[in-house]
Amino acid sequence: MDNLTIAATERSPAVDFDFAAGRLSLKGESYPEDASAVFGPIFAALEAFFGAARDREVSFDFDLSYFNSSSAKALMNMFQMLDQAAGAGCRLTVNWFYAADDDTMKEFGEDFSEDLSHVAFNLVSVE
Amino acid sequence: MLSSFNLFDAEEKSLEQAEDLRQRLEQAPEAVRDGIASLIEAYSRSVREQRRLVRVSDRLQAQLASVNQELGKRKAEAEDALESLKAAQESLVQAEKLASLGALVGGVAHEINTPVGIALSCASHLADSTTSMRKLFEADDISVEDFERFMDTVKDTTGLILSNCERAAELIRSFKQVAVDRTSSERRRFDLAVYIRETLASMGPHLRQAGHTVRLACPEGIVMDSYPGALSQVLGNFVMNSLVHGYDPGQSGTLSITVEHEGAGSVRLTYVDDGRGIPEDNLGRIFDPFFTTKRGSGGSGLGLHIVYNLVTGPLAGSVNAESPAGHGTLFTIVIPLSP
Repeated sequence: MDNLTIAATERSPAVDFDFAAGRLSLKGESYPEDASAVFGPIFAALEAFFGAARDREVSFDFDLSYFNSSSAKALMNMFQMLDQAAGAGCRLTVNWFYAADDDTMKEFGEDFSEDLSHVAFNLVSVE
Repeated sequence: MLSSFNLFDAEEKSLEQAEDLRQRLEQAPEAVRDGIASLIEAYSRSVREQRRLVRVSDRLQAQLASVNQELGKRKAEAEDALESLKAAQESLVQAEKLASLGALVGGVAHEINTPVGIALSCASHLADSTTSMRKLFEADDISVEDFERFMDTVKDTTGLILSNCERAAELIRSFKQVAVDRTSSERRRFDLAVYIRETLASMGPHLRQAGHTVRLACPEGIVMDSYPGALSQVLGNFVMNSLVHGYDPGQSGTLSITVEHEGAGSVRLTYVDDGRGIPEDNLGRIFDPFFTTKRGSGGSGLGLHIVYNLVTGPLAGSVNAESPAGHGTLFTIVIPLSP
């Protein structure tokens, strides 16, 4: 399937889904005025991809410096989808990047990881 | 596709399933049906509350983001403004330095012009007289009166030429002092009390001649790492200032120097004479270059200006002058042990 690449805007993250290589990444800030305009295409692409991913090896980098409540809810939904895919056999690794001095972003990562039972979750501190 | 995206998709599906379940409980006792119904109602309310919270929170976060952006913009503007202010200040300081240098050079030129002019006209007068004498000599027609007049002229003009050239040379020396090159003056460690005593000893002839008494109160063992040459010149200029301005001829007084610790890393040196003091009108100008009340009788107006430059320059301290009416003159300098 086609890769999904969306440039970052002031209020939305850069999307770089290289489905062929099994490398996905969200990077930047996320506080869009219309969450569905930003996350709609992302979820559509992920649903299509994981629907056919079976036991592929996939890594997903989250490198977010700031997100609002809608985005947090969207991320929660996204992690639920990822955990289901991993439960169905996809070998999925999530890397959660956070600035070394940003405790809040680290705690968000820890929170999200608590709901995951099948995904390999790494917290990665960035200097 | 976009319109189908719903943040609370999962919750809504759960609610639908719960509604289905409730409808299949037709046969259950009424209490169970009521209980399930109120649970579903509570969950539905909770989802609505979540939506509302997310919406409110999004709005606050968006506001926060734009406030932050505005703040960042304002901060950048303020920093830019500060930069230009600093640049403007720097160029003002440079302009001020140039202006004061200009004033200094102008003052020096003006000061030197007078003795050089006098020496020049004396030399010219002497040359004329010599030419006339040579003519009389060649005609073998010199009277005793002519010769005596010529000798008087020679004595007067050479005396004036000498004294005015000395005056000019002294002015040039002072000018060199004003332009003290900070890098060329030596920095070293020295014992303050010992050094002040040495400086006072070197001025002994001046002090003894006028019969003044000097008192020094300085704690032993204060070691400075500074510019002794500058400090010596400052003290010397204080003393000369007192000798020239403080006392009438034949009048003798007491000069005292007191040194105290000022905080951990500085000393306060207080210099006091019991002379006639400085009129209040002049007190604000004594550190200006070429300010003098003794222009006619040898003052250059540079002594205290040199003091100011040395204390605020190489010695990295501050200097202040006071003259309580009828109580002489008091100079205070506060300088770091190691600038």
